[in-house]
Amino acid sequence: MKPMLSTDLNVADTTVEKAKIEVKNLNFYYGQSKALKDINLSLPERSVTAFIGPSGCGKSTLLRVLNRIYELYPKQSAEGQVLLDGKNILDRSQDLNLLRTKIGMVFQKPTPFPMSIYENIAFGVRLYEKISKAEMDSRVESALKRAALWNEVKDKLNASGQSLSGGQQQRLCIARTVAVKPEVILLDEPASALDPLSTAKIEELIDELQADYTIVIVTHNMQQAARVSRQTAFMYLGELVEFDRTEKIFTSPREKRTQDYITGRFG
Amino acid sequence: MSTAQSLHQSRKRKNAVMMALCVIAAGIGLAWLALILGALLYKGLSGVSLAVFTQMTPPPGDAGGLLNAIYGSIVMTIIGIVVGTPIGVLAGTYMAEYGRFSRLTTIVRFINDILLSAPSIIVGLFVYELLVRPMGHFSAIAGAIALSILVIPVVVRTTEDMLNLVPNALREAGTAIGAPRWVVIRSVAYRAALSGIVTGILLAIARISGETAPLLFTALNNQFWSSNLNAPMASLPVTIFQFALSPYEEWQQLAWTGALIITLTVLGLSIIARSLTGRREDR
Repeated sequence: MKPMLSTDLNVADTTVEKAKIEVKNLNFYYGQSKALKDINLSLPERSVTAFIGPSGCGKSTLLRVLNRIYELYPKQSAEGQVLLDGKNILDRSQDLNLLRTKIGMVFQKPTPFPMSIYENIAFGVRLYEKISKAEMDSRVESALKRAALWNEVKDKLNASGQSLSGGQQQRLCIARTVAVKPEVILLDEPASALDPLSTAKIEELIDELQADYTIVIVTHNMQQAARVSRQTAFMYLGELVEFDRTEKIFTSPREKRTQDYITGRFG
Repeated sequence: MSTAQSLHQSRKRKNAVMMALCVIAAGIGLAWLALILGALLYKGLSGVSLAVFTQMTPPPGDAGGLLNAIYGSIVMTIIGIVVGTPIGVLAGTYMAEYGRFSRLTTIVRFINDILLSAPSIIVGLFVYELLVRPMGHFSAIAGAIALSILVIPVVVRTTEDMLNLVPNALREAGTAIGAPRWVVIRSVAYRAALSGIVTGILLAIARISGETAPLLFTALNNQFWSSNLNAPMASLPVTIFQFALSPYEEWQQLAWTGALIITLTVLGLSIIARSLTGRREDR
């Protein structure tokens, strides 16, 4: 937390989180229509940042710029800068596959690959690493433990990933993402298709993961944003309205639009 | 009787009439199928014997079998599938994956649909002009090429359709983990669409194993055993065509038996195809 009074000599200042990702003057277009307008924000390392806002405000779009997954589709383009550790990932020379191994993503609907639980995790690891069977076994195990799924699946690693329940599938997707050792994890409404118990597990998991990863979560659920995140960005109609510490956003927002949204007056 | 009740009654009457019409229509459709199958079983089964599978097609008035025709059909069908399937699967993959948003895909799909419903005799004539005339003689390879041209549009269509059924979320997930495009296609999309693509290939086999017209101008027929791909080759459909029109009783019997063999083969393939599709839907 920032000290109330900071001086040049204040040691606390140096512990202020280093920015992992900095978004500068970002504009995004779907064909002709502008979906993100001049976004500027900086995401601190090893902490959870939430993007909230009504449907269509651009929060998912912003998330999809961070690993450039939007490039799968034609007529979508981004302008401006997104710096990952100071390097602009929107640069043409950026290798997209390598970028995505550094910035993992988990989607709204669980998306296990049509293969076994074990293979779901080994698949991503094998893409960039050549390791022995024993190493792979331990890699799969640690990823599943990390995602709090190991105890439920350790006796059926060869079962299809699609045979798991929705909540388990989503944790499998998180395990799969963690297994390739990314630096940033993007979560696009990861719990909105899940029941409350599974949601609670996912939230607990996010809380644990922030010790090692920079996490960005898009959520419709304001309570969820308040529970899991340290910073919250409120977006509306493609603009970043307010970005601050989560308690600040939920207790004393600067902007009236933020206040209206979090108190349920619109959205 | 109140208005509501009379409306209800009239709706019930209309429903009964419509339902009766539908049942009759379905019944007529099924009746033909049952008649064909019944006639085939009745006339064909009596001719099934070991000789059918071990002896060559006989000269008129003699006893014999269908071995050379069965062999020819199998060989030309296999070559047709082996040549046509990779082209079809790759074209379908382009259309559903790489070229999903491109204009070329729209054009190819349109042309493919025309090819899909083109009369097969035209394909036979095309290959006749393309291969048989320049080569100077009929050949099994020309027959197989004609069949492969019939395979391609079927496989293109099913491959594209099945890949389009794979949710985009799955491709995004593969991409998001750092997999290059071709790995996502090979390991995720193909795997998810596998049973559908295999079904398409089985349907293509079923389609070409009964085709007569494209073989008439290409592989022609052969009364004797021949495994030379560069020479005319017998096939079940053409043999059936020839024997069924003949005045000889032995030949007519063999034609019925041959028709039964083809029908049962196609039926078997369709059942396998259906069960594969069914399995996917269960999941």
